[in-house]
Amino acid sequence: MAGLVPPGIPAVPADVSHTAHTKHDEKTDYMNLPCPIPYEELHREALMSLKPETFEGLRFDFTKGLNQKFSLSHSVIMGPTEIPSQSAETIKIPTAHYEFGANFIDPNLMLIGRVMTDGRLNARVKCDLTDNLTVKANAQLTNEPHMSHGMFNFDYKGKDFRSQFQMGNGALFGANYIQSVTPHFSLGGEVFWAGQHRKSGIGYAARYETDKMVATGQVANTGIVALSYVQKVSDKVSLASDFMYNYLSKDVTASVGYDYILRQCRLRGKIDSNGCTTSYLEERLNMGLNFILSAEIDHRKKDYKFGFGLTVG
Amino acid sequence: MASRVSLKTKGKGGKGSKGSDEKSAARCLKEWSTWAMKKAKVVTHYGFIPLVIIIGMNSEPKPQLYQLLSPV
Repeated sequence: MAGLVPPGIPAVPADVSHTAHTKHDEKTDYMNLPCPIPYEELHREALMSLKPETFEGLRFDFTKGLNQKFSLSHSVIMGPTEIPSQSAETIKIPTAHYEFGANFIDPNLMLIGRVMTDGRLNARVKCDLTDNLTVKANAQLTNEPHMSHGMFNFDYKGKDFRSQFQMGNGALFGANYIQSVTPHFSLGGEVFWAGQHRKSGIGYAARYETDKMVATGQVANTGIVALSYVQKVSDKVSLASDFMYNYLSKDVTASVGYDYILRQCRLRGKIDSNGCTTSYLEERLNMGLNFILSAEIDHRKKDYKFGFGLTVG
Repeated sequence: MASRVSLKTKGKGGKGSKGSDEKSAARCLKEWSTWAMKKAKVVTHYGFIPLVIIIGMNSEPKPQLYQLLSPV
């Protein structure tokens, strides 16, 4: 009689016990949390969707790879450049410049340098000293005295936390730390001290992410409260919204945007509570040939920026 | 009043001579570090891009020199 029991029936309780076992595994293992993303990339998804690099005028970028790791880039930019002005209206000066760049990208060492015709150098260095320790340096050097900036960052990556120490010119010191609290939620904080301006600040940040959405919040004692929410509606579409509030100067900005990543193009657009609409299109014409259109319309400030460009390589 | 003022200045003069030794060490260090930062800035400004190019030209597989200049 026992031998006549069909093989399917004992399999069913085994299945039930298997699913019960996996459900037990899904209960969070607090000793094995994932490593959180770096503190400065907290709002990464929202920034990618809502703040594309809009420009005005013509932009032509040519990148020539000499081998897998080393490439040279030539850029031509022609168009009006905004200069900061005290009055409400924007002042633009037409400029044209050529920028030469050299990039060396290795798994352990990354060197990126860009130099413009007016002598400005933009240099970035990232070096992985060990698996967990990374040194980064960033500098903008000009020929004018006292207008150059440099910053060093030392990053330490732990099993489920990241910490960073920053040193910049003008006696700027900062440190930040972010820790995974659950598999989806991470909390972090930062402090900084600017010697030249005699300012110090402290801030806190939180990030909750799942496969479908990312929500972040950041508060600082300089008065900034920044919240963002990104929903990944499908593989091709993401919607993002952003809220920035400065409780000291009572400035509020909210924006809503979309990001369509399609086969041949990437289209990003956003609208602001200041009445500013932005749109950015990158169209892939051919392998390695990209056509870029950028538009930023601000009816309140009467500032209309349209740009087009071509990226080769 | 005059005697009090002169006492004050004498006191300040005395303290100044003792403090200037410590101050000069800190000032010396600051001057040297400022000089070093200025030189480092000039070296980085002129040398960073050539450094990247030299490191790139010596990486494997070694690119040819004409590839630096030709647009192909």
